[in-house]
Amino acid sequence: MKRLVWTILFFVGLFWALATFSGLANRGTYESLILDFRDDVSSEQVNQQLGAIAQQFSVDPHLNSAFSEQDHVYVVKGDRQLLKTLRRSEVKELLEYAEPNYIYSLQSPPNDPDYTKQWNFRSINVEAAWADTQGEGITVAVIDTGVSPVPDLEQTNIVEGYDFVNQQKEALDDHGHGTHVAGTIAQSTNNNMGVAGIAYKANIMPLKVLAAAGGGTVADIAEAIRYAADHGADVINMSLGGGGDSKLLSDAIAYAHSKDVVIVAAAGNAGTNSASYPARYDQVIAVSALDSAGAKAPYSNYGAGVTISAPGGSTAAGEDGGILQNTIDPQTGDSTFRAFQGTSMAAPHVAGVAALVKASGIDDPDQVTKILYESSRKLENDELNYFGSGQLDAAAAVTLASQNNLSFRDFFRWLRHNGYLSLRFWFDGGVVSLTPKILMVVGAYLLSWLLRVYLPAVWGGFFTSGLVFGSAGLFLLRGLYVFDLPQWPLRVAGSSLPELGTAVQGSNVLNPITASVLIPFALLALLLSHNSLKWLAFGTTLGVASCLAVSAVLDPTMAWLGSGAIARSYLGINALLCFILAYLALKAEAEGV
Amino acid sequence: MSQSITIEGTVQKSAMGTGTWSLVGGGRTYEIFKGQPQDMLKEGNRVRVTGRVRDDVMTLAMIGPVLEVENFEELS
Repeated sequence: MKRLVWTILFFVGLFWALATFSGLANRGTYESLILDFRDDVSSEQVNQQLGAIAQQFSVDPHLNSAFSEQDHVYVVKGDRQLLKTLRRSEVKELLEYAEPNYIYSLQSPPNDPDYTKQWNFRSINVEAAWADTQGEGITVAVIDTGVSPVPDLEQTNIVEGYDFVNQQKEALDDHGHGTHVAGTIAQSTNNNMGVAGIAYKANIMPLKVLAAAGGGTVADIAEAIRYAADHGADVINMSLGGGGDSKLLSDAIAYAHSKDVVIVAAAGNAGTNSASYPARYDQVIAVSALDSAGAKAPYSNYGAGVTISAPGGSTAAGEDGGILQNTIDPQTGDSTFRAFQGTSMAAPHVAGVAALVKASGIDDPDQVTKILYESSRKLENDELNYFGSGQLDAAAAVTLASQNNLSFRDFFRWLRHNGYLSLRFWFDGGVVSLTPKILMVVGAYLLSWLLRVYLPAVWGGFFTSGLVFGSAGLFLLRGLYVFDLPQWPLRVAGSSLPELGTAVQGSNVLNPITASVLIPFALLALLLSHNSLKWLAFGTTLGVASCLAVSAVLDPTMAWLGSGAIARSYLGINALLCFILAYLALKAEAEGV
Repeated sequence: MSQSITIEGTVQKSAMGTGTWSLVGGGRTYEIFKGQPQDMLKEGNRVRVTGRVRDDVMTLAMIGPVLEVENFEELS
């Protein structure tokens, strides 16, 4: 049985790896092709073919180097079209292969002296993305406290914006927040000064809605969103949040989305479950914050509504852990380089990468969003949805954008992209690992089939409920969130019996007390005399047997027992005990009737 | 407009953005909105505050509901 499961798992894994491997062939550029003739082809034949190719395509095939004659490796100038033609021609018969001669190049880091302090840019892998694009031609609207032209924004193109607080065209910063946010998106880069920005060739559109004290009204924010959409913005960044649901605001967001604008907002800094408004609206990318180690920053909101994570930093242990950009000192108005922390800092990372994706030729905001989610680095065991789809990865996003063919791996990834259900409910598909759950339910039915001689011909509702409750539980509920309410009641309701010991903490570690024969035994002892409830106990016992057996074979992690052979043996033995218990109880039941 | 509420709590400086003031009390953290009385804003100050939660205001600190202070008294 164990061997069979392993074999199935092996093929599932192999299939998954093959299905998702994109390979080098999808990336890179080339100007020439490699032709490798078979070793058994004579030099005369090779020369004859090379002559024919030279004549037919007006090219000059030559040996790659003096060392490649023996292996018959030739290089010919050509593109994708020539490669296709060659692969279809008669020459193909004599070739071992014909393939692109990729050009490898090293991307050098920017010359901004304090780039070394920008751990956050290495964390999102931005250097490799710069090889393809720096955000040319894209406009990012920064809805914030305004943007001041500090020295390290000198080469950045700041387009006309608006100050909704003071009702004027010039939207200068009197706080220091908006200039900092604009810096993360498009700080002047490779200018031998200060620090770098993500999409440093993109335009910045400053829209001031927050006053010097750091607050602003929903009415101004909604107007700023419409202004951005009407004045050519491609991406909107909102490092702000709070308040409640507003029809004015949600209409403005829907309007901007209909004009192909990607909208990014910070998830909030209250350290609680649920993103704040406006991040939680559908059509808005809600960004939680990571610290320099890639963990959720302590202040960051998480859970319902969070769709991706990016560096927001933490200055709890000093400025090195914050996000460093050029901004103004609000007291003096002078230029200064400051390290801030917050989901305010995380959101512009996503807005910057969204600009890079847009610059790669993707216009549809839903496509851009999908690319950002799909290319983010996934995290295992993100039980409380700290990270949404994963950690932002600029290089992977740009690569995926240039491939322009999205493959969505399975139903649950799709569900994750559609995590938004309504302003009350949200679904996190990533928390449910589907394969083990299905194996557990199927296993429970298989075990029941083994004991079919002792079971009635028609299984009652109590028995099947027991099978489900014991094996996998109503596992879809584990991913369901209600905004502004704790998630643990749904997690408990969505857990199987063996998982209940750790369900409240939101952990996938198994507790040896609930993941054992103990509770099925107690259930049987209590319910055996009851006419219908005893079937619930039988079903539960078989369900638990299946759950424990599948957990033992897969990769179990148990409280106190770890994840090694001890945990596996413990689960295996308890699975067997459950099965024997069910067998004895059902046998006695059948014989007693 | 929301109704006035009274909260007892402690004034604390929050390190989000360039820094903002918060009132921690009744199991929640409120962001103290602008126009707040300056003599109330002392780290660790225990106060009883009457004010309104501003649902129509968003901030860059995003640390909790935005509280507009109407009046306050210091608790010993």
